[in-house]
Amino acid sequence: MHELTSTRANPLIDPSLHVWEWQIPVYLFLGGLVAGMMVISGYFLLSGRHKRTRCACFMLPSLSLILLSLGMFALFLDLEHKLYFWRLYTTFEILSPMSWGSWILMLVYPAILANLLLRLPAPLQISFPRLQQLSDQLVEHPMFAKWVGAVNMVLGSLLGVYTGILISTLAARPLWNSALLGPIFLLSGMSAAAAFVHMIAREAEERELLAKADNGFLMAELIFIALFVGGMATSTQVHQQAAGLLLGGPYTAVFWVFVVGLGIVFPLVIQLLAVNHKIQHTPVAPILVMLGGLLLRFVIVSAGQLSHWTGN
Amino acid sequence: MMAPFFKYDLFGDEFSLIVAVLIGFGFGFFLERAGFGSARKLTAQFYLIDLAVFKVMFTAIVTAMLGVFYLSWMGFLDLSLVYLSTTYLVPQLLGGALLGFGFVVGGYCPGTSVVGMATGRVDALVYGAGLMAGIFVFGEAYPFIEGFMYSTDMGTITLPQLFGVPYGLVMLVIVLIALLGFWAAPSIERYFRNKLTEEV
Amino acid sequence: MTVATNLAPSEPRRQAAAPAIESRRGSPFMNPYLAGIGLGLVLLSAFFIMGRGLGASGAFSSATAVVVEKVAPEHARANDFYLGYLESGLDGHTMKSWLVFEVLGVLMGGFFSGALAGRLSPTVDKGPRISIRGRLAFAFAGGILMGVGAKFARGCTSGQALSGGALLNVGSWAFMIMVFAGAYALAFFVRRQWI
Repeated sequence: MHELTSTRANPLIDPSLHVWEWQIPVYLFLGGLVAGMMVISGYFLLSGRHKRTRCACFMLPSLSLILLSLGMFALFLDLEHKLYFWRLYTTFEILSPMSWGSWILMLVYPAILANLLLRLPAPLQISFPRLQQLSDQLVEHPMFAKWVGAVNMVLGSLLGVYTGILISTLAARPLWNSALLGPIFLLSGMSAAAAFVHMIAREAEERELLAKADNGFLMAELIFIALFVGGMATSTQVHQQAAGLLLGGPYTAVFWVFVVGLGIVFPLVIQLLAVNHKIQHTPVAPILVMLGGLLLRFVIVSAGQLSHWTGN
Repeated sequence: MMAPFFKYDLFGDEFSLIVAVLIGFGFGFFLERAGFGSARKLTAQFYLIDLAVFKVMFTAIVTAMLGVFYLSWMGFLDLSLVYLSTTYLVPQLLGGALLGFGFVVGGYCPGTSVVGMATGRVDALVYGAGLMAGIFVFGEAYPFIEGFMYSTDMGTITLPQLFGVPYGLVMLVIVLIALLGFWAAPSIERYFRNKLTEEV
Repeated sequence: MTVATNLAPSEPRRQAAAPAIESRRGSPFMNPYLAGIGLGLVLLSAFFIMGRGLGASGAFSSATAVVVEKVAPEHARANDFYLGYLESGLDGHTMKSWLVFEVLGVLMGGFFSGALAGRLSPTVDKGPRISIRGRLAFAFAGGILMGVGAKFARGCTSGQALSGGALLNVGSWAFMIMVFAGAYALAFFVRRQWI
């Protein structure tokens, strides 16, 4: 049942709080996934793994570019004034997360491109021999790969945290008023990316490494989610009401069953058994982790829009 | 009296769905443990070469039956709040026979087909599609058979009420039938397995 | 128990199958009595916590109703059968129903047990004397029979036989006897599929 609040926080009264549909959660998920991929491929570069020919890290930069652009396109679809998109880049406001975000994204693209240059995808190698020459020269330089790796790790972490901070600064939504959303979204992005690389990795050792890393991210994510819900449920009355959406309210089942159960706990148990060689590796757990990450954004975004300050 | 918890409002509808997943998990887990994700294992019951279906089903029924009885006898569980479906005798007899046909032809029942799907059985997936097609056929026919569906209404009625005997006596008879079946099962299985091997 | 099965096949079998149905891959199946006790305790906890038994066919009915409503909304809403399922979910979401979530759990539990035992693999389960296409055709036909039957009986092996059986429900026991009678009656005619 929907009650109409006639005072505030109602799209008919407050047009600025317009309803976010699928675009924003998809953008947040893809942003988080790319952030995780940047951190992982940055780590591979730093640790010198890229010297191996079958390293999964070679696929990550081009995939990151595609996924991030898809995410940006989803965000673009959500904008009401699409023609004024460029104006975000005419100012830099130190206190505005929107402004931070657009500038982080501005830096993320060159960082991924630099990573891409270290090992050009086969079609580019053939059509642009000059680019391949440049790539060969850069690989010769020992510090270049390390620098690109470090920059990718830093920018990836910033991007991951930013996807959470972006909504937690929107004060009108009590469910989002938590600094923990930053680390939760970062960890969720990291776990989704680790799950993805785990799924596509061709070397058994890499697969094991990423499954183990993924288990760590998932466990940390569980702890942060517990702190987030627990903190919110013991805060002020509006925040308690907001937490109630996940503790008996209309988002309870979908959050605990699909996000926490199917998206974190179940794949975590399966992957823990898999890395201990009790059961075989299947793509089921990684797929569940990624779906869980996507659903986490959907639940937080849409439950958040149901939470408001005015009470009932 | 404190149970069923849900009926005493210990938790709401939303939490009941979380409970549903946990209970379903246990259900699916034990079905697969018993080998019921395999259509061959299930249908072996009907050729009497492997009576696992009878053994598992009757052990489960006896366990739950005795459990429900003792919990309500000790005052923990209010049996009147446990949902008992209404008996519509003739539709249920007809449905039972059709379901038996479907079981031996298709190889699964709906619950075990889900376990078959979970462990990668393609035939279980096809069976599930057939199941939905069958439900669709029934749904389309429903307006014409609605009257029949509500015929021979006996209300909510249990075997002890039907026969006018104590609850404990019916339980005793069921336990005895189960034990008799368990006792006879190994020789039945051996007999029909030997017969099958001789024919080969 | 009726023993009405004639197993004499009319032609010799090409290959000898092990008559005992054991796990083809992975670890052996659990002792049936132990599995039965486990299943009984799960059923008991459903009675104790929820005040209801287990089920499975209801979730397939909800899914069918959703599909019919997607294709022909007015047609679905005009039919009491579909409407009952469409309106049974929480907050007006048909799939947000107890049985749908329970079956989701069955899927997870089955997968987990299969993974633990090393029994996960894409296969078609059948006897040695039938082709894969033949088996799949039988599976689909059997599914249709089962779907119609389960709806006439208002429940399947889980909802009626197991749950109603443990509560000594008259309709459930009558149903259960007919399930076994029907299956044994037809078993001879489809034996090439299994043994």
